[in-house]
Amino acid sequence: MAAQPSTIIEAKDVDFYYPGGEDADSPALSGINLTVNQGEYVALVGPNGSGKTTFLKLLNALLIPTHGQVLVKGISTAVESTLPEVRRVCGMIFQNPDNQLVATTVEEDIAFGLENLALPPEEIRNRVFKTAALLGLEKLLSQPPHLLSGGEKQRVAIAGVLVMEPECILMDEPTAMLDPAGRRDVLNTVRELNRNRNIAVIHVTHFPEEAAGTDRVVILNEGKLAADGASAEVMTDLQFLHGLGLQGTTAVELAALLRQDSFPLPPQILYNRELVDSLCSLGQNS
Amino acid sequence: MFIGTEQLTHTYMPGTPFATKALHDISFNFKQGDFALIIGPSGSGKSTLIQHLNGLLKPTSGQVVFEGKNIGSDKQELLRLRKRIGLVFQMPEEQFFSETVFDEVAFAPRNQGFDENEVENKVIEALEKTGLDPNELRMRHPFQLSAGQKRLVAIAAVLSLNPEVLILDEPTVALDTAYRKNLFDLLTGLNHKEKLTIIISTHHLDEAAALADRVLVLKQGELAMFGPAVEVFGRREELYSLGLALPPVTEIMHGLAEKGMPVSTSVYTLQEARREINKVKRRDRS
Repeated sequence: MAAQPSTIIEAKDVDFYYPGGEDADSPALSGINLTVNQGEYVALVGPNGSGKTTFLKLLNALLIPTHGQVLVKGISTAVESTLPEVRRVCGMIFQNPDNQLVATTVEEDIAFGLENLALPPEEIRNRVFKTAALLGLEKLLSQPPHLLSGGEKQRVAIAGVLVMEPECILMDEPTAMLDPAGRRDVLNTVRELNRNRNIAVIHVTHFPEEAAGTDRVVILNEGKLAADGASAEVMTDLQFLHGLGLQGTTAVELAALLRQDSFPLPPQILYNRELVDSLCSLGQNS
Repeated sequence: MFIGTEQLTHTYMPGTPFATKALHDISFNFKQGDFALIIGPSGSGKSTLIQHLNGLLKPTSGQVVFEGKNIGSDKQELLRLRKRIGLVFQMPEEQFFSETVFDEVAFAPRNQGFDENEVENKVIEALEKTGLDPNELRMRHPFQLSAGQKRLVAIAAVLSLNPEVLILDEPTVALDTAYRKNLFDLLTGLNHKEKLTIIISTHHLDEAAALADRVLVLKQGELAMFGPAVEVFGRREELYSLGLALPPVTEIMHGLAEKGMPVSTSVYTLQEARREINKVKRRDRS
């Protein structure tokens, strides 16, 4: 089956075994089939050790499937000669911003990937400035990255990916090390890029609140695809989430407890505001 | 005073052009048996403060006090002190260096000069305290363990010296909800049963807020707030203005209160919220 025009990522019957591991017969991932289209915002959720990071690494060819294949805009990640294109299309943001900033100023850091493409200096400067402006980093361009806040560092890392004009951003727990303000900052930035520039996002997270804020949630469990559906549906199926050792948002969890106490709350409550509104309207009726 | 500081100031690289004041005039006091939280935005000085509490960093001025005495800077004294005040770093498993779980946990007792029999006992006891099975895991390579098990091994390595105070810098980073709950259950047990004083820094208040006796809030190296949890989490607007958040359940209670429901907002767990909402709603109906 040929890739659809709007398909960015296609994983077909992917198995992955870490080579040389003691557990050579137990795959880190098995039988994964997944398609991600242009502009989709997908949360990738699952317990520790379920294969989330492994899967993300397969999507920009840091790892190659043992069986099956990963196609990025129709190009197999297993073909060496097209790796630069695969990695341009799918840029990666890691958990710890300190591990991915390489240069002595923000400007050089954002330019790093472009320099490797051997573009003319003028072109590089233009693209760096444009990207920095888009992410509100103009004033920080001459700063050393290590003096920035955690949220700013992650935005610099995002800028370094964005400047390559990706069509998909892969993020591995990008907010795990950040404070609440930094977290909001990064999430808003990514959401805007997704909405305004139609960039697909695959976002690995342990935070139910973050998963609930995406369009689609994919759950991995023990290396297998356990769920794939609209966020509003997957993240409100508490019985299923609990079965995998996962949690719903605080609103979903509290609503479930209150339903046990026979509060007639609607099933689709996902966010705090929905729970608050529902509870208050109950008050008015009684 | 059990453990705390008096007018503690710390400047990194003093007397150089890079001199940075990380802490300024910090005075506080945690009581024996406290479960204490240190919160604050990224870069506010949490890790710097924590590293003073067992003498890893020395004050530029002011002092660190343990059991009413300045901990001073005598090397032998500090070595003895670090037996009593254990510190678990952020992402501690990244610093594993041994071939087996046993050797990893045995490092500190061996370093303190215990003989191999005593070391063996201490290692087994420490692993058991964290809920890990010594027989199953002792000869395993630390890197073969799951993320949650690795974190527990790192904590066991510190518990091996039977400290009276256990300090953890961001202990739940990158753990899934099940491991996070498990870790907080462990800390609660150590606090209640073993009477350990627990001090943690964290950005995530889901579990921590309900356990906290005392909360210290840092803002750009200065003490912004210090007091019982109810008092600190009651200062909502100030916390927001620092870029911090309230525990998620508390946010919901504030939402309800703002809409006129007469609920308490000093609520930090789902079960407390459930009771409180039931109480108010029952009163409504009667």
